[in-house]
Amino acid sequence: MTLSTALKTGDLSALPSRRDEDWRWTDLRGLLKTLPPVAPAHDGEVPAGPFAGLADAETVFVNGRRVAASDAASGVVALRFVALADKASQGASHALVVKPGESLVLLESHEGRAGAYVSDVVLDIAVGEGASLERIVLVDDEAEAVNVVTADVILAPGAKFAQTVLTSGARRQRIETRVRHPGAHAQVRLDGAYLLDAQRHADLTSVVTHSGLDGVTSQLTKGMVTDQARGVFQGRIVVEKGADQTDARMGHHALILSDKAEIDAKPELLIFADDVSCAHGNTIGALDDEVLFYAKQRGIPEADAKAMLTVAFVGEVIERIEHEGAREVAAAWVARKLGSEA
Amino acid sequence: MAAVKETVETVAALEKYEHGFTTDIEQEFAPKGLSEDIVRFISAKKDEPQWMLDWRLEAYRRWLELEEPTWAKVNFPKIDYQDSYYYAAPSTKEGPKSLDEVDPEILAVYAKLGIPLKEQEVLAGVEGAPRYAVDAVFDSVSVVTTFKKELAAVGVIFCSMSEAVREHPELVRQYLGSVVPTSDNYFACLNSAVFSDGSFVYIPPGVRCPMELSTYFRINAKDSGQFERTLIIADKGAYVSYLEGCTAPMRDENQLHAAVVELVLLDDAEIKYSTVQNWYPGDPETGKGGIYNFVTKRADCRGDRSKVSWTQVETGSAITWKYPSCVLRGEGSSGEFYSIAVTNGHQQADTGTKMIHLGANTRSRIVAKGISAGKSTSTYRGLVSAHPKAKGARNFTQCDSLLIGKDCAAHTVPYIEARNGQSVFEHEATTTRLSDDQLFYCQQRGLNQEEAVALLVNGFVKDVLQQLPMEFAVEAQKLVAISLEGSVG
Repeated sequence: MTLSTALKTGDLSALPSRRDEDWRWTDLRGLLKTLPPVAPAHDGEVPAGPFAGLADAETVFVNGRRVAASDAASGVVALRFVALADKASQGASHALVVKPGESLVLLESHEGRAGAYVSDVVLDIAVGEGASLERIVLVDDEAEAVNVVTADVILAPGAKFAQTVLTSGARRQRIETRVRHPGAHAQVRLDGAYLLDAQRHADLTSVVTHSGLDGVTSQLTKGMVTDQARGVFQGRIVVEKGADQTDARMGHHALILSDKAEIDAKPELLIFADDVSCAHGNTIGALDDEVLFYAKQRGIPEADAKAMLTVAFVGEVIERIEHEGAREVAAAWVARKLGSEA
Repeated sequence: MAAVKETVETVAALEKYEHGFTTDIEQEFAPKGLSEDIVRFISAKKDEPQWMLDWRLEAYRRWLELEEPTWAKVNFPKIDYQDSYYYAAPSTKEGPKSLDEVDPEILAVYAKLGIPLKEQEVLAGVEGAPRYAVDAVFDSVSVVTTFKKELAAVGVIFCSMSEAVREHPELVRQYLGSVVPTSDNYFACLNSAVFSDGSFVYIPPGVRCPMELSTYFRINAKDSGQFERTLIIADKGAYVSYLEGCTAPMRDENQLHAAVVELVLLDDAEIKYSTVQNWYPGDPETGKGGIYNFVTKRADCRGDRSKVSWTQVETGSAITWKYPSCVLRGEGSSGEFYSIAVTNGHQQADTGTKMIHLGANTRSRIVAKGISAGKSTSTYRGLVSAHPKAKGARNFTQCDSLLIGKDCAAHTVPYIEARNGQSVFEHEATTTRLSDDQLFYCQQRGLNQEEAVALLVNGFVKDVLQQLPMEFAVEAQKLVAISLEGSVG
């Protein structure tokens, strides 16, 4: 039941639908009545990506085809998926291995520049013993696009994995991360922020499976929806039998700024071990009226005040990005999306 | 501290499942299996009017088209619906006119369970002791309902469902199935076809029911299922507190209990519904036997400012699968759900609630405490949703799970669907085990391990116990302690 299978076989019944429990809020089968043709190869120039100038090396996919490849597995690497063909489909997959003891910053961008494309990206990531990976994912899709990005991350003991996903949504969009967490002092930080307007939809889904002793997971997702947008957060933390001393925390906090927007959340804990400390918190609401009133009283127009408060709200996620350059790009992206550029 | 001491003593004194006895009573059964003829048989037995039979048959036909759901986190072998009795009743020629005509064997059962069926016995208690009216349901029939006259004096109707169908058809026709439609789900549909008895309550406008009402369910017959149907209507400005309790004998076979409870609340009405569920949980060592408790409970807050409160203490049943829900339709209506689910041995519980906010300024509060021990599994599954019109809706949810032992599991699966910009939803959940430090502290003060666990667990579930009516709270506290007996060390 994946978009990948449907794109490969052309079989629409392979698409996940709302009858699949994990896809109940992101229905692809009901949306895609036909699959567009495969995107053609692109010969021309590829415009610069959002992290231009920050990476030592880059791997670039255009219309689902790899046009530039780097085998660098340490330092700062850009990974770009660019969609340049309108009304076309594209599927890409990429594998990444961070060797034991190495350290890598992955600046991943999904750049939609073509209108109504259907895109599917599958990533396989392995982080070796004692290695560390920081993955920053910036997803800038077109309003008519359908995009599913799935990453399978396997950690070795003592590995460190940190991730921040930033998205402005698409017609239908899902960013899914599945982490195999072996415990043994491995650490996971799994963050995300979604800022959605118009009729955009974004689904941030994650599954972290703790299978060994002493694992730590910290997760923070923040979101803002307005107009008729729809944000979805599904976070699942599984603690398998024997994965004692697991410490897992999950938070999802979101703002609804209009009467027709919607947020659906499912923060799940599945615990099969007893010596654990797991918690999740989930809050959904509007901006605080009193704070807005205070800002207005100080002569700040309502729209500016809302943008300012939302920037501050999402800021917590941005501040957790460790790579300084990427953090600045992320902060600027948020400010641009919320129309509060200084 | 007195209550805690009492719990500790109870733990020491009581056997594991004290209600597990069987009673040999001459009983009447419908032939085994399920068919249209059985549905007609049940209806005829109850002397029902044609409309009731038609309703049942319609439900039965729909049930045949439904598929049994499998999404819950519970495992059990496929149920053979043809291998069960759908009607079992103590044999009597005529319905008993008074308590004197009720089979003394049955009275003895209730006496053994500590349920007062004789009004004078209730009255004979200490002066000022709380009184409550009881509807006693034994397998498929209601054997006796107490205090009917006194309640009738203030206009309250409290009787068995069968009697309500005969005596108050206009109310039953208006409300039955209006909260839980026949084809709502697989088990509710089955219940609609074969429901046998249950309680019917109507509180007229402006009346505050003068005493607590309660129903006591007892499954006695072998290989039978219990399918009771409860309907409570609180008219404008009415108030009622209703309690239900359940027990069953220890048997090696699983028995199905598929009940439907419907609550209707008009303007300014309030219903407080408390359950202490202690069906036989199965053998703690082998997991053999026990009740499958697949129940549909829903309250419809139709009226403005109406209020419903569900409190449940779930300690029994091999499998508990139920989500007492609130449909908050009326403006300013509110729903509460307080739950303790204790699982031990091989028990499985998948329970929680649904708060469906449809009206403006509706409020809901969920406090769910799950305790898993032994090889058991406990899941909180809940839905909080706010419709675009539910402006100003508010929800607070707190789910805490406590794990005792290496082989148990606790899951939290909340669904939150917010569809307007003027609502506030807060949800928090934690999963931990009993703190070693706290256990050590208690033991240092001279409590043994089991007492220490009982004390800490009492603290953990206190928020919910406080919501129960007094007599139930004491019973529930004992039950929680008993259910966890033998779970440590």
